[in-house]
Amino acid sequence: MPEYTLTSAAPLAGTDISVAGTRLMAPADLAIVSVALPLGEEKPAGKAIRAAYGVALPEVGKSSLAKDDSRLVRLGSDLAFVIFVHPTPDAERVVAARLKGAAYTTDQTDVWVALDLSGPSARRALERICPIDLHPDVFAIGDSARTMMEHLGTLIIRTGDDSYRLLSGSSSAGSFLHAIETSLANIT
Amino acid sequence: MSQVNRISGGQIDRAQEFKFTFNGKAMQGHPGDTLASALLANGQRLVGRSFKYHRPRGIFTAGSEEPNALVELRSGAHQEPNTRATVTELFDGLQAKSQNHRGSLEHDLMAVTDFMSPFLSAGFYYKTFMWPRAFWEKLYEPIIRKSAGLGRLSMQEDPDIYDKGYLHCDLLVIGAGPTGLVAALTAGRAGARVILADEDFTLGGRLNSETLEVGGVPGAGWAKEALVELAAMDNVRLMSRTTVYGAYDHGVYGALERCTDHLASSGGKPRQILWRVTSKRAVLAAGATERPIAFGNNDRPGVMLAGSVRSYANRYGVTPGQQVAVFTNNDDGWRTAADLVAKGVHVPAIIDVRDAPAVCDVPGARHIRNAGVVDTIGRKGLKSVTLTDGQVIPVDCLAVSGGWNPNVHLTCHQRGRPAWRDDISAFVPGRDLPPGMAVAGAANGAMTLAAAMAEGQSVANTQIEALGYKPSKADLPRAEDEPRECVPYWHVRESTKRGWLDLQNDVTVKDVRQSHREGFRSVEHLKRYTTLGMATDQGKTANIPALAIMAECTGKTIPETGTTIFRPPYTPVPIGALGGRSRGRDFRPYRLTPSHNWAKENGATFVEVGNWLRAQWFARPGEKGWRDSVDREVLATRKSVGICDVTTLGKIDVQGKDAAAFLNKVYANGFAKLAVGRVRYGLMLREDGIAYDDGTTARMSENHFVMTTTTANAVLVFRRLEFARQCLWPDMDVHLISTTDGWAQFAVAGPNARNLLRKVVDEAHDLSNEAFPFMACGEVTVCNGTPARLFRISFSGELAYEVAVPARYGNAMMDVLMRAGREFDATPYGTEALGVMRIEKGHAAGNELNGQTTAHNLGMGKMVSQTKECIGNVLSQRPEMVREDAVKLVGFRPVEKDRGLIAGSHFITRGDKAIMDNDQGWMSSVAFSPSLGHSVGLGFIKNGDTRMGEIVRAVSPVHGTEMEVEIVSAHFIDPAGDRLRA
Repeated sequence: MPEYTLTSAAPLAGTDISVAGTRLMAPADLAIVSVALPLGEEKPAGKAIRAAYGVALPEVGKSSLAKDDSRLVRLGSDLAFVIFVHPTPDAERVVAARLKGAAYTTDQTDVWVALDLSGPSARRALERICPIDLHPDVFAIGDSARTMMEHLGTLIIRTGDDSYRLLSGSSSAGSFLHAIETSLANIT
Repeated sequence: MSQVNRISGGQIDRAQEFKFTFNGKAMQGHPGDTLASALLANGQRLVGRSFKYHRPRGIFTAGSEEPNALVELRSGAHQEPNTRATVTELFDGLQAKSQNHRGSLEHDLMAVTDFMSPFLSAGFYYKTFMWPRAFWEKLYEPIIRKSAGLGRLSMQEDPDIYDKGYLHCDLLVIGAGPTGLVAALTAGRAGARVILADEDFTLGGRLNSETLEVGGVPGAGWAKEALVELAAMDNVRLMSRTTVYGAYDHGVYGALERCTDHLASSGGKPRQILWRVTSKRAVLAAGATERPIAFGNNDRPGVMLAGSVRSYANRYGVTPGQQVAVFTNNDDGWRTAADLVAKGVHVPAIIDVRDAPAVCDVPGARHIRNAGVVDTIGRKGLKSVTLTDGQVIPVDCLAVSGGWNPNVHLTCHQRGRPAWRDDISAFVPGRDLPPGMAVAGAANGAMTLAAAMAEGQSVANTQIEALGYKPSKADLPRAEDEPRECVPYWHVRESTKRGWLDLQNDVTVKDVRQSHREGFRSVEHLKRYTTLGMATDQGKTANIPALAIMAECTGKTIPETGTTIFRPPYTPVPIGALGGRSRGRDFRPYRLTPSHNWAKENGATFVEVGNWLRAQWFARPGEKGWRDSVDREVLATRKSVGICDVTTLGKIDVQGKDAAAFLNKVYANGFAKLAVGRVRYGLMLREDGIAYDDGTTARMSENHFVMTTTTANAVLVFRRLEFARQCLWPDMDVHLISTTDGWAQFAVAGPNARNLLRKVVDEAHDLSNEAFPFMACGEVTVCNGTPARLFRISFSGELAYEVAVPARYGNAMMDVLMRAGREFDATPYGTEALGVMRIEKGHAAGNELNGQTTAHNLGMGKMVSQTKECIGNVLSQRPEMVREDAVKLVGFRPVEKDRGLIAGSHFITRGDKAIMDNDQGWMSSVAFSPSLGHSVGLGFIKNGDTRMGEIVRAVSPVHGTEMEVEIVSAHFIDPAGDRLRA
């Protein structure tokens, strides 16, 4: 039996900053699994997703919240993410088991780093780095988009009135945090 | 000095006093003043020296078109040159200095150039500094550079910060004068998302400078009410101090917001923000700019544009002089006279070029018809003007109006050409506007107030209707159509003295005529030859009068003569704003490997590889240079075991029923039959048959592969695979997703690699050579159950593995591997040792896959399958690409063992001259091999594979070196591959 154990050190773990009532924090134990719909078998895959999560696969650019708080985000015609709280490094197996082989799954948990931005200044802060239109009438709650912020590929999901979940590459987590922190500092 | 020229009224807060200095002299002003209005209030007429002749110059305008009053603001690192005093908001403590003089402003030693002016006419530089040629670099250029430019840079780093941002709207209204306000109200009331932007700090445009009434109240008051209404609308964003400087594709506009320029300190907040505004529609309501009339010595401090004089009087409560004459070719000039007299300023004369009755009654002013100004007196400030009939009128200010030019600049940013309108003697926007843009008000040639406001409403309605909003039918407030008759009159012909057109670049009427005589017929050539219309003001006041003179010379009309093209930016944009946050460490994002912290704690030196920071080597105490560290890391790895973070290699998860068939099409070599649990080296070709990336791909299960790419091409390969999947073979069931950042991957290499991994990989997994041979792969667990992937692949040529764990465990994994490896003297190694070992082993990398080499060149020609369809295999067989004497990748070693090979050297056969015709190939990679004790190299040489043992010369004219090298196998270490299969 190996005498060694590995301790987890997720980038940005523990980040929790408040600037004038707007909060930027890294959600803990977030797991992300990509779900690819097999060509020609999108319908059965969709059914399997509905059976597993109790909600339909959302349209591209939308997301839906399952009963167990898993969020399904549709990134493309054949690609979706399941985002849920799951601390152990076996998220892919969990999702694969729930979908019973109806779709291809890949663990994306460690590919991304997540930051939740919420509060009255959230939109104004994002205005400095987010090229897409976040006006509440245009980018509704649950909407998602892939875009670039400060040269970094970013997935943005509107999770509430004034709250957004931002996902970007984990290797550039420091630059990503810096970009949002700077935006917060610059507007207040 | 007291505010001798302060008069009643204006939008300034007299209750509060600001102290400021000009050239160290203490002065006073009020909130609401610009630096220019405050200087005029304090009686300061001389504010700078001209660019070329160092002529004394004063304030000429009251807006962003100012060519003359350029000053240096602030001090120390905050010093900013070439700032227009006319748009600089006054604040308490402002420090301003005049620029472009040697000695004091009053006694500029460089003013001597003015007396040399007969020699300094148009094209002087081109004609004078042509010969002798050798003088250019050492003599002429330094002199010209020293006397060129206006203000001085601080030569220190800019201490301010800048930001950028993105805005979106249905309707962008550019300019918040009467037209823009009506347009914004119209669209705002209809519910459209509106951005109203204006360069001024007080919105309202000319309404703030005029006495005209709107809806029965003074125009400025109406503007304030309109702004209150607009500010209360959630769907309207008001942006003052914001210049929309460029019209770009797809309704995108560039805008510069000056956030803290009006404050003594930016307080750590961005000084300026560069906004990218994405609009569905835009209304350009940029107004108009007044133009001067050229006459002798029309550049004296005190000669100003008439509309600007009116602005100073009405908006700032300042008169630029005590005796102000008006010289005009149009009705609008009369308004200046009337407004000044109403404020108690004496206007001795209105000189009108027209032989027409008075436009209005101006008490105390003589109306001199059919006359012009031929000359002026007063070197550092106007004293009198001389008229065409010889009479001299003592004045200290002359208000000149040559008519108004619509501000068409943004309509031309996508190559649109303006059209001429005879009735206003001016260019108006042409038909080819940037898509989505409409023009209204004075910018469109609607030169009177009521007409401009009506157009603001109708144009805004048309724009929002197209977006599905209901047009607003609200009645417009009552406004008048003031008299605006204008005759084309550009310069006073009777004048014999120099008449200035471009005050910023010292271009005179004579210069334009001369350039025409010398053959410059196109306005674009005229501009380059005379410098007309260049620099910070871009000829906003100068261009049209100069065109008129050019037209006179050629005998053509002004529209036939044409205009130079307007390009962004409309007014200067600081480089700092264009840079935004991208400076210093934040110039670009950086990527860290999962074991970055471990590496940092253990003495790593990092190297930038794309955006990644990778450990280059790990120095130990006593090592004198990087070579000591690298040699040690190589030897220790080859002797026992070394560990290297290789996370940066691209990883792509490939899944689908057709995944194997797909890989078989994108790799040049076969992948269809790769067994589950096995890895294969693959080479990718471009469509044209050139090799572009390589790596290994592992088959994890029937429909699941894990591909690796080179670090540099990770994104490119992914993009090309997506293209292939979506566009070339959309009927294949293949799904791709990047997992590069998701797995921390470590190369564990050396004879003890297996022994080390046995201590880390959970016991259930058999790592024996039989169970897990070379090129095996599989999912394992490490350290009691953490999921991992293990690949038995080797870049170093040793018995080696790559072990991958979820990235969150990467730093811990590095630590565990090092602790478990202690008994084997395990060493961490960086990219340098990695490079040395791959050269020793003869593995190609970026230097060899350089975008010009084929599989044939790389010695992998046989790998390119001709029995299947794959990207690049057909074109790779073109005769030129498979010629027999093609260069081949081989190894090289120096004949004199102590010499170091030089990458980039070219190979020349012994006895041949080192010229291009005799070039045999080039050295692509070199390293000192600590294993062999001498330098080793990889390179391409003609027929290399058949020339083993031959000695050729490696010549580097760049380094001035030459040495003899022997052609050898590229596999310096373990050519049979026994080690990696051990």
